[in-house]
Amino acid sequence: MTNKVAIIASNGGLFDAYKVYNIATAAAATDKEVTIFFTFEGLNLIHKQGMQALPMPEGREAIAEGFAKANVPSIPELAAMSQELGVKFIACQMTMDVMGLTVEDFVDGIEVGGAVTFLEFAKDAAPTLTF
Amino acid sequence: MSLKADVMLDAKGLACPMPIVKTKKAMNGLTEGQILEVLATDKGSKADLAAWSKSVGHQYIGTTEDGDVMKHYIRKCSNDAVVEKQYDQIVQLDELAVKALEGGIILDVREEAEYAFGHIEGAKSIPMGELETRMEEIPKDQVIYVVCQTGRRSDLVAQKLASSGFGSVFNVIPGMTEWNGEVKTSL
Repeated sequence: MTNKVAIIASNGGLFDAYKVYNIATAAAATDKEVTIFFTFEGLNLIHKQGMQALPMPEGREAIAEGFAKANVPSIPELAAMSQELGVKFIACQMTMDVMGLTVEDFVDGIEVGGAVTFLEFAKDAAPTLTF
Repeated sequence: MSLKADVMLDAKGLACPMPIVKTKKAMNGLTEGQILEVLATDKGSKADLAAWSKSVGHQYIGTTEDGDVMKHYIRKCSNDAVVEKQYDQIVQLDELAVKALEGGIILDVREEAEYAFGHIEGAKSIPMGELETRMEEIPKDQVIYVVCQTGRRSDLVAQKLASSGFGSVFNVIPGMTEWNGEVKTSL
């Protein structure tokens, strides 16, 4: 049985970030080898400034209170925890070029790669998830 | 009530996935066979910790609830735990019910928490670690059927009893993990 979980993060909202990082940390804590490929708006999730204030879906701002009440960790905390648990972050080179971003814009410890880098990891992963 | 545990982790007030992440980290500090007690208020943590234990290879023992607080009990297992059985007097688990009708004592050598969440009716509980100090509680003139979770701890105990002057000792295999009969709880 495969021990890999592959995640594609292609959206940049707060809800998207929670989906990505919750699954990633839970999988890593269950001894899975986890890689997240951040592409297009998903790059927000590892962007040093962007990740601090990810947008809520319109009209759902009231849920911010719910997050505070449920004592949910912040996205930067979850990102750091993921890395601490061994989750590998890959930022999509092509999207970075299009958006004019460099490695310095992102949290430390990420790798930069193309689609094939991710595909190589994901070829024998189960499940592969897209958010 | 609180059951005996070696390490306690307070994950109260934390939301998913934090109870799992904290449990994973806490478990690294335990040695094989030790029991971790996890206090949590996240209602999803019961199903999550049971699934996590199964996936990682530890033994999920059970959960008690005290108001909003859940207490989960997990026993650390190692993945390379396959050891040759050495004690040669054995009884198959499915024959135990019939054999025990003829007399004798079922001695359950698992930890207190494991026993509390489900044991064979009438079984006497002495955790393996307490065997030396409580051996006089076991009558020498009766047949002793030693049972644990998988047959591994009971193998060691059976050897110990046999070498301590107990004449009729049997290791029950496999163990409670395969037991389909009724169980009693003592929670």
